Amino acid sequence: MTGAEIVLEALQREGVDRIFGYPGGANLPIYQQLPRYPKLRHVLVRHEQGATHMADGYARACGRPGVVFATSGPGALNCITGLATAYMDSVPLVAITGQQNTTLVGRDAFQESDVIGCSMPVTKHNYMVTRVEDIARVIHEAFHIATSGRPGPVLIDICKDVQQASWEPEWPEAVELPGYRPAFTPDLSRVREAAEALSKAERPVILAGHGVILSGAEEELCALAERSVTPTGTTLLGVGAFPVRHPLALHMTGFMGTGWNLKAVQNADLLMMVGMRVDDRVTAKLSEWAPSCDTFIHVDIDPSEMGKNIRPHLEVVADAKTALREMLPYVQHPQPERRRSWLTQIDRWREEHPLKYARSNGHLQPQDVMIEMYRRCDDDAIVVADVGQNQIWAALWWNYTRPGLFINSGGAGTMGFAFPAAIGAKFARPEKAVWCVAGEGGFVMTAQELSVAVKHRLDVKIVLLNNFSLGMVRQFQDDFYGGVRSEVDLSEMPDFVKLADAYGLPGLRVERMEDMRAAFDFAERTPGPVLIDFRIDPDANVYPIVPLGKGLDDFTELPDEYA
Amino acid sequence: MSTPSTTIQADPHPNPPSTGGRENEMGGREKAVSEPSRLRILSAVVEDHPGVLTRVAGMVRRRGFNIQGLSVGPTDAQGRSRMTLAVDAGHAEVDQVQKQLERLIEVITVEDLTEAPRLSRELALAKLAVAGPQRDRAVAEVDRFGGRVVDAGAQHVIVEVSGEFERVERFLEVLRPYGIIELARSGPVAMSKEVRSDER
Repeated sequence: MTGAEIVLEALQREGVDRIFGYPGGANLPIYQQLPRYPKLRHVLVRHEQGATHMADGYARACGRPGVVFATSGPGALNCITGLATAYMDSVPLVAITGQQNTTLVGRDAFQESDVIGCSMPVTKHNYMVTRVEDIARVIHEAFHIATSGRPGPVLIDICKDVQQASWEPEWPEAVELPGYRPAFTPDLSRVREAAEALSKAERPVILAGHGVILSGAEEELCALAERSVTPTGTTLLGVGAFPVRHPLALHMTGFMGTGWNLKAVQNADLLMMVGMRVDDRVTAKLSEWAPSCDTFIHVDIDPSEMGKNIRPHLEVVADAKTALREMLPYVQHPQPERRRSWLTQIDRWREEHPLKYARSNGHLQPQDVMIEMYRRCDDDAIVVADVGQNQIWAALWWNYTRPGLFINSGGAGTMGFAFPAAIGAKFARPEKAVWCVAGEGGFVMTAQELSVAVKHRLDVKIVLLNNFSLGMVRQFQDDFYGGVRSEVDLSEMPDFVKLADAYGLPGLRVERMEDMRAAFDFAERTPGPVLIDFRIDPDANVYPIVPLGKGLDDFTELPDEYA
Repeated sequence: MSTPSTTIQADPHPNPPSTGGRENEMGGREKAVSEPSRLRILSAVVEDHPGVLTRVAGMVRRRGFNIQGLSVGPTDAQGRSRMTLAVDAGHAEVDQVQKQLERLIEVITVEDLTEAPRLSRELALAKLAVAGPQRDRAVAEVDRFGGRVVDAGAQHVIVEVSGEFERVERFLEVLRPYGIIELARSGPVAMSKEVRSDER
């Protein structure tokens, strides 16, 4: 077999059914063989960044690793942003890039770049393959590393002459990685202590992150919250992990979280943080975070998260599902009166700090668009959001009564993520409705992938929240940078209806509330991709928001005169 | 070997005890950044692959740590190297250095020797431009210190000393008045004095 055939055979053995890629000089041997492997269905993207986000959306939607092909030099370098996005959010990807011939590496050959050096900080691991004998082992290891423990992207850079060399491989079953310890059995005494502390606490709060979704621990989380009667919120990446309409739901935490969540976190005497990194967007000013809390419990699969941002009093190093399942039997159902005042207090905060938005200024409000979209999601659709105001609006108005999939670039905050990720999600879960929420700024960063949606007639509905500006940056400039609006104006944008038409999909423009429903109706009954350009209030802002450098409960809400 | 087996008295950079759990007065809070020293002495066994040093060095830089001393050499086991690192944890929690090293796939084990009873050695070679009576005095100093003259020419001598960081520093201090024209120093190698149960 040639190296190229070994690559494709190995992918098939790993159960790959979808590859997002782009051919070029250094991966031509692989593409030459690709038609002989019809089970490996290839999606020709329009830019390699699109391929990585598609693979990312694919992986987040179905849990299987996303696979990317790219050529050397610019092809591989175009993958870096997508790899970083997946790395920050612990998403399993395997990217296979072509590289110059082994004899030319290091000589600044055509389309040669140090892809290993460039991708090292944004991958869980990477490999440069310079011997055909190594391909089968490396691919098997790469899938193991990408999908086990805390998942993440792995890049394999394969020299072109290695793809052309011949070898009869042995297909490895096991992996031999003496330095890799992905799985940790939780320390049972810690688990028990954590459960007991949770039962005993006066004002406990559980916060759930992406780890709950990655490990599929939604049921366990719900059971733990209910048995211990603990109010439960999520991080931005954890949205969907806990039903928002559950009586114990605190919804989203963090510096753009809901007021009642932030009040609860700031007044809790115990915080159990599950599958999350406790980053700066969750804590706002760290030294003022959760000042009443005397018991921090941190559950995470990655030991390095323990004490990275917050030193927990109790560490449970395990995947969320295992940890929560082990914890459950030790949780005592507290006396109802024990929790009553805490739950009553939270209800009061919920009433005092509801989500509010400007309704009566004559403009179409993004929140109205989100409410209407979620009405049609039926607790089931996959919603993929971009980065910026659209992301927070989509997160805050999430309304599912059961766990669901809300996909966004939380850690890296990559504009342009949503649309290709929505394409990937639809490939992974064709039976699910997929809504893509994006601002016009982020959307045009990867809009060339419209061709992919059209080519595959993908039912991805694009909800463009178009405010003619880089809205989040504009809001920050208005509120935190002296009101100086600097380079945020996006009034020169394509006519998105014509753009959609040019790409071959239907597009609609909605400027008035009255036309909103008809547009959604059209999108839902029209097969294939549809773009709706919602011209929203150009001054709509995200609320609540914690001003930069402030503590979490110093949040600003929409001034009452606008509500 | 004429190297005296001096036991280490103190680190060049003494450390606060590691923080953790309930005992940590900062429990769950931001760490103060003004601690006397944040240097960790780590001994890591790594796979002898190309690029491992880049991975380790890159991780250290990325996380805001700083390598103050580093040595790499083979171990007794085939395909394994040992890296000894003196790393300043920077603004991070000190245990992050070990934890982040352990995340690297090709790093097999990491031992934090900072607080453990241990031996640590560095090697220095110094070329001195000395002749005549000055040379005799210099060589006498080297002898007194337990160093060795390893090369001698008409106008120079090369001397070596090994020992812990402080001892090497003191040795060089003594030699400086004689005119060091070239100096080469190794990073540290360190070893715990304890025998772990799995090593017996």
